[in-house]
Amino acid sequence: MASVSFDKIEKNFGKVKVLHGISFDIADGEFVVLVGPSGCGKSTLLRMLAGLEEISGGDISIDGKVINDLDSKDRDIAMVFQSYALYPHMTVGENMAFSLKLRKAEKALTEERVGKAAKILNLHTLLDRYPRELSGGQRQRVAMGRAIVRDPKVFLFDEPLSNLDAKLRVAMRAEIKALHQRLKTTTVYVTHDQIEAMTMADRIVVMHDGIIEQIGTPLELFDRPGNLFVAQFIGSPAMNVFEGTLRSQQGRPWVEADGQQWPVGPVAGGKDGQGVHYGIRPGDISMVEPAQGIPATVVVVEPTGAETEIILQVGETMLTLVLHGRTDVKPDQAVGLQIAAEKVHLFEKSGGQRIG
Amino acid sequence: MIKGWSLRKVSTEAQLLLVGIPVVLWTLIPVYHLFLFAISPRDTATSGRLWPKSPTMQNFEIVFGQKHFYLSHFWQQLGNSLLIAIATGALTLLVATTAAFAISRLKVRGGRTVMNLALFTYFIPAAFLAVPMYKTMSNYGLLNNRWAMILAMVTIASPYCIWVLKQASDKLPWELDEAARIDGASPLQLFRLVYVPLMVPSLVAVGTYALLLAWNEYLYGFLLLSKETDLPLAVALGNFLSADDSPWELLMATGFIYALPPAAIYYAFKRYMVSGLTAGAVKS
Repeated sequence: MASVSFDKIEKNFGKVKVLHGISFDIADGEFVVLVGPSGCGKSTLLRMLAGLEEISGGDISIDGKVINDLDSKDRDIAMVFQSYALYPHMTVGENMAFSLKLRKAEKALTEERVGKAAKILNLHTLLDRYPRELSGGQRQRVAMGRAIVRDPKVFLFDEPLSNLDAKLRVAMRAEIKALHQRLKTTTVYVTHDQIEAMTMADRIVVMHDGIIEQIGTPLELFDRPGNLFVAQFIGSPAMNVFEGTLRSQQGRPWVEADGQQWPVGPVAGGKDGQGVHYGIRPGDISMVEPAQGIPATVVVVEPTGAETEIILQVGETMLTLVLHGRTDVKPDQAVGLQIAAEKVHLFEKSGGQRIG
Repeated sequence: MIKGWSLRKVSTEAQLLLVGIPVVLWTLIPVYHLFLFAISPRDTATSGRLWPKSPTMQNFEIVFGQKHFYLSHFWQQLGNSLLIAIATGALTLLVATTAAFAISRLKVRGGRTVMNLALFTYFIPAAFLAVPMYKTMSNYGLLNNRWAMILAMVTIASPYCIWVLKQASDKLPWELDEAARIDGASPLQLFRLVYVPLMVPSLVAVGTYALLLAWNEYLYGFLLLSKETDLPLAVALGNFLSADDSPWELLMATGFIYALPPAAIYYAFKRYMVSGLTAGAVKS
């Protein structure tokens, strides 16, 4: 168990700079997810923490001790790779015991640790199998078992679920989360999947183009995205965002876009006539009678069982709406839209920073 | 439709046979003649018959009993051949495996240059290098020493083996090295516990290649070694032809014996030979 701290971390590959001064701290026992589109530098940052990439600038410390120049093996970390990276010529048991074997641990201790990890992960019947004889999910569990056996200060996960099918991914997600709740080991988890980030993390670090866009708990990021990038990246289906002009009369603000007046909550700042991005989550729009709200036309209705996703058109703007339950609206039908004004997000037109 | 298909199938088969039969005959006829000579009595050895009138194993008895002037060191020379071949195979493996590991997995500086130089050595035929090699061995005082032959063969075999092993190494997933590093493996442990076990098929192929290359070598043995008791059997066989009246049937019997170990080795390892030598040839 340990805290981890990144201080002004930079990384260059030749002349290309991929990380621009990343700083944040991870508390002891915390589950932090680094999330962002591919190429944002999240995996590079994790690999620098693992000691697999050199650090071009800044300091990484574990438990207050700078580890920049320490070998991977001396950092007391364990990593789970996307491709599992199991040793093909060793059995499951040998794979899990490998790190202890290298440390010349006593046989009894090795057996005890492997047995314990196998029990936690439900692998005890597979210890004599070879990785090629296992399914994808089992291999993933062995990779996790190999990490648990180490009893490291920090667990690192590099997109561990990307090679699994959708159903298994959901199951493994829960398994990893349960594992963390049980072991309470500090964990850094990299993924490009914002749903994984939302469901698993204590705190999420959203990265983009080598910088941190925002750090916060899943619900903080969802409820108060700090900028346009985070607003559009977090949440599924994605937030509806379109451009408009902020208007304000007698302290009552609204946004003018596509010939309509869009409501804005009381807290929003900004000044009259300012260009803005208007954002509203699909779940914060509701349908009413055509005469009562903003007039819209239904384009597509997508029932998913518990929820219904409806794509609507207002002027030139396409909006997504999520409805809990079912609906009998049909494509081309005219409806009215009501927007929960206090749930509206406004961002500056240039720069995309949050207003208010 | 079905008829057309089967017709085409028959014609494909026929074409294969048309190529296959000559190739098989081309390969087997000399071997058959070797065998024919080896089981013929001396006076009928060159009679030109397809099967000797009275086949005999006497020639083999003479060879195994060392009962001829040219064969007085047969067992010693067979042993020399074995020693040279096995030592060459083992040393080449050591050189090539460590080189491939350093270049492919540890990414040592200058690895590319070494690879290019290795390729470059094959622009010069080995025969052209025989005299410089003779001079070098003489400088080191190794002439007439079986080590001279072993070292020469390792020199000739290594570059190709390094190439094959480097290509095969490049195909091993990089994450395995990283996982091992995080698990606490030093480069040597990585080599011993992860790299070598995973490279076994390629190592067998490459080792066999070097071993057979040394076993079949004539020129370097002829040049570097001259004492009867140091010669490999291949060179000793050549000495049969130094007299006007060569004992052909004994030459062929010995040759037949000499051809058996490579055939056995190749047969035993053929599974590895095909997969090992083509490893890395295509992206899978």
